[in-house]
Amino acid sequence: MAGKTIVITSGKGGVGKTTSSANIGTALAMHGNKVCLIDADIGLRNLDVVMGLENRIVYDIVDVVENNCRLEQAMIRDKRYDGLFLLPAAQTRDKTSVTPFQMKELIEKLKEDMDYIVVDSPAGIEQGFKNAIAGADRAIIVTTPEISAVRDADRIIGLLEAEGLRDPEVIINRIRADMVERGDMMDIEDMIEILAIDLIGIVPEDEGIVVSTNRGEPIALNDSAKAGQAYRNIARRIMGEDLPMMKLEKDSFISRFKKLVGLA
Amino acid sequence: MASVFSFQAVSDGIVMNFRDGSTFGSIKKAVSLHAAEASDFFTGVNLYLNLSGLELAYEQLEELMEIVKNYNQVNKIYFTARKIKKEKSEENYSDAVIINRTLRSGQRVKHQANVVIVGDVNPGAEVIAGGDIIVFGRLRGVVHAGAGGSKDSQVAALQLDPTQLRIASLIARSPDDSDSSKLQAERAYIENDQIVVEKI
Repeated sequence: MAGKTIVITSGKGGVGKTTSSANIGTALAMHGNKVCLIDADIGLRNLDVVMGLENRIVYDIVDVVENNCRLEQAMIRDKRYDGLFLLPAAQTRDKTSVTPFQMKELIEKLKEDMDYIVVDSPAGIEQGFKNAIAGADRAIIVTTPEISAVRDADRIIGLLEAEGLRDPEVIINRIRADMVERGDMMDIEDMIEILAIDLIGIVPEDEGIVVSTNRGEPIALNDSAKAGQAYRNIARRIMGEDLPMMKLEKDSFISRFKKLVGLA
Repeated sequence: MASVFSFQAVSDGIVMNFRDGSTFGSIKKAVSLHAAEASDFFTGVNLYLNLSGLELAYEQLEELMEIVKNYNQVNKIYFTARKIKKEKSEENYSDAVIINRTLRSGQRVKHQANVVIVGDVNPGAEVIAGGDIIVFGRLRGVVHAGAGGSKDSQVAALQLDPTQLRIASLIARSPDDSDSSKLQAERAYIENDQIVVEKI
């Protein structure tokens, strides 16, 4: 099997890289793919928490590159899907514990029996970022409708180009239809115009994300959540399907009413 | 000090000319100082050391080579003895470098003559030119035309909405209420010691 490696990155912190990685990985596995998630945020690991696999960690990525264990020993099998694995980051080490070359080697090895490898990049543009993009075939940039996030995304696109990762795609996360409507939030066209790259998905702001993150259950598992649907769509686009973008709906009168009386 | 040597732009680099009759001591002093203060001056371009009119001993040449090694990332260093056509004149900057892509945040283009960009200049990107800057796209970053002090330089773009626009020693920024949605080609130049913008 010759798997594809996708790096999820953003430059800016807090825009939803880890949430996106967890959900894209989960959604890809839902479609029967063999997927390995790699947490490249050494020293500040989170992906295991979001996946709800924290208490199963014995070995981590640094143990693998330092040959303290075999790769298979460090890979944690997901509790929901047999084809989904997580290679956790080390929490007690830092980004310099792994080199881009070691990362590349590791990914080459994983590619042999995975369909997709999803690398969750740390924020920033330093060594951690360089490790995360080493060995990637494809890059997905996560941004939110804020000038600072878009600016950082633009910088990242430039750095990816310099590393030979052409044609990255962008996920616009945490968009709020009502704010866009009022002109209080950058709209999608504005952002795409600046970044000039392809849009692979839009994820609406969803309170359910906070809940699902705290529970360790990716929202992609939730059939009724809008954000879950958005991530499942992104996974299908990654697999090559041509899906139309989700329509952003303003809160309908009924849902606003429900909110008002505390039903939703 | 500056009069010991002068620079002349050529298509692929910069020629460093020395004034006739300069002593080796003064050359050494001036070049060491320049290399220390402006070590990035020749980054990415060829440096031509014009030895025309100089008589250097072998050891002096070696010493000079040691000094120019202090410049960072010089493409190639050549020794030449070409005749200087004219004292460096700003009108002669007719060379242009053409950049066929969008400049993104953090990317920087620096050229001693004119710069033409076919693509956008995004916020956070920087263009610095000794001469004019022409952008066939949206200009939203920082530009500095006439960076060597040439007040005749101008900046033109299909949409002129820079974070900051500098020409020679003058600085301007877009008005805070500028409407950046429409595409209207404009150019900025200096008139009566002020940067003015007009539609084209």
